[in-house]
Amino acid sequence: MSDPFKPRAAFAPWDRRELPGLFTVEESARRVGNYKWLEMRLFESLGGWVATVPELDVKLVLGRHCYHHAWHAELMDKRLPELREMNTDRLCEPANPEMAAFVEALREPEAPEHTIEKLVGIFRVLLPRKIAAYTYHMNATSRITDSPTQRSLGFMLQDEFEDWREGEMLLQSLIETPDDVERAARRQSELEQLILAAGGIAGPGTLGSETVTEGASV
Amino acid sequence: MRKQLPPEMLARDSRFVRTSIMDQVMDPRNAKMGERDLGSARLQPERPAAADRARNLMHGIFTGEIQALEGAGRTTFDFDDEQAPFALKLDMARQCWDESRHVEISVKLGDWMGTEIGEYSEATFLYEAACAPDPILRLCGVNRALEGLAIDVFNTMKEFGDLSGDPVLEFCEDWMLADEVTHVKMGSDWLRRLTADDPERRERALDFQRTVDKLFSLGGFRGESEDNPIQLARAFRSMAGFSTDEIDELAEIAAQAQLDAQAMVAGSS
Repeated sequence: MSDPFKPRAAFAPWDRRELPGLFTVEESARRVGNYKWLEMRLFESLGGWVATVPELDVKLVLGRHCYHHAWHAELMDKRLPELREMNTDRLCEPANPEMAAFVEALREPEAPEHTIEKLVGIFRVLLPRKIAAYTYHMNATSRITDSPTQRSLGFMLQDEFEDWREGEMLLQSLIETPDDVERAARRQSELEQLILAAGGIAGPGTLGSETVTEGASV
Repeated sequence: MRKQLPPEMLARDSRFVRTSIMDQVMDPRNAKMGERDLGSARLQPERPAAADRARNLMHGIFTGEIQALEGAGRTTFDFDDEQAPFALKLDMARQCWDESRHVEISVKLGDWMGTEIGEYSEATFLYEAACAPDPILRLCGVNRALEGLAIDVFNTMKEFGDLSGDPVLEFCEDWMLADEVTHVKMGSDWLRRLTADDPERRERALDFQRTVDKLFSLGGFRGESEDNPIQLARAFRSMAGFSTDEIDELAEIAAQAQLDAQAMVAGSS
């Protein structure tokens, strides 16, 4: 029988988590506020679009994904007070005016003939950007001190990956002609220009800096 | 994308056939059918037309669920954060997912019952109730009145599944019934929360609900007698937060609607 009183290390040998992280409490809160704002605008857009798409399968997928992003917004809303942000509305804002302009352009298509444009904006531009930003946040923040944010981002990423795959498959089934390919590419390019100007969903530095600065990290 | 999408802009593929509620109400065949004495109007498996009536009703559920999905979706989008609190929008997003599942269930059940999409026409009156400019009116019109009707319809269909020996129908209707009770409760909770300090707004919302309830009791469609195909599900309504007084009031509205319809038939013959 093993001795239950034998001293053991606090971290099992395979648990390689470390304390240091790139984000302060304030920086993590700022990003979480940006994510909440974006998730809100996204679930509202998907909800609004449901009535405007004639394709039944797309309509049902948008209805389902609408809730995924609402749940993400709720997770981020609950995390903000834990990051010392008691007024959760204060940080619930776009990273910058360029990000707000991107979202405005993203949700612009309305006509029933524009399903490709709607889906390209979500699944070929926004979701890949979100996956990148959330992955960066998970990897950059302290795996011990900011673990609750990481855990929520993990759940969110699982949705993002699955939703992206489903949306991309829908798009591939809707793009039937060379003209459709042109439409999709043109729409993607327009929106990429806008999100590039924003610097990503959390503004410049969304994915950190490529430039090495001496003594920058903890 | 604009705020407030009118019903005529609801997007559908080429299989769907749109009709108006007035066309349905003024259909001259209604008067002739009203003259026939066919006994109980309830869905009973032994009656020759039971299968067709059930398929028709299932197609109506299918199109109704699409419009419920669209209405909940528009409520997440049409209002800013001041007009509709964050938590209300989260509830509406959750409802989108639920309604989306209900459409999936209805498509599969329709297929199971031998119905094709577009076999019956679609009227958009459910979505029209979701076009009110005040979110609390929408919640009263859609969640309390129409989702309340859905409780009655699903309970009736569940019983029909039991009586006709169709466990698939009974199983699915029971699951959808669980969701509808949640949606009605959601509407009741938000009505109380958002109008706690505004009795006039609450009365406007309840008036709107009564109007929708009356519309959907039209011609004795829903009630508590043998003449009503859809039976009022008192127990489930109570579970969803309706008081006994509210259920009694609805029963009166339904009974009055039936008397109005009988008078209309008598007047036209």
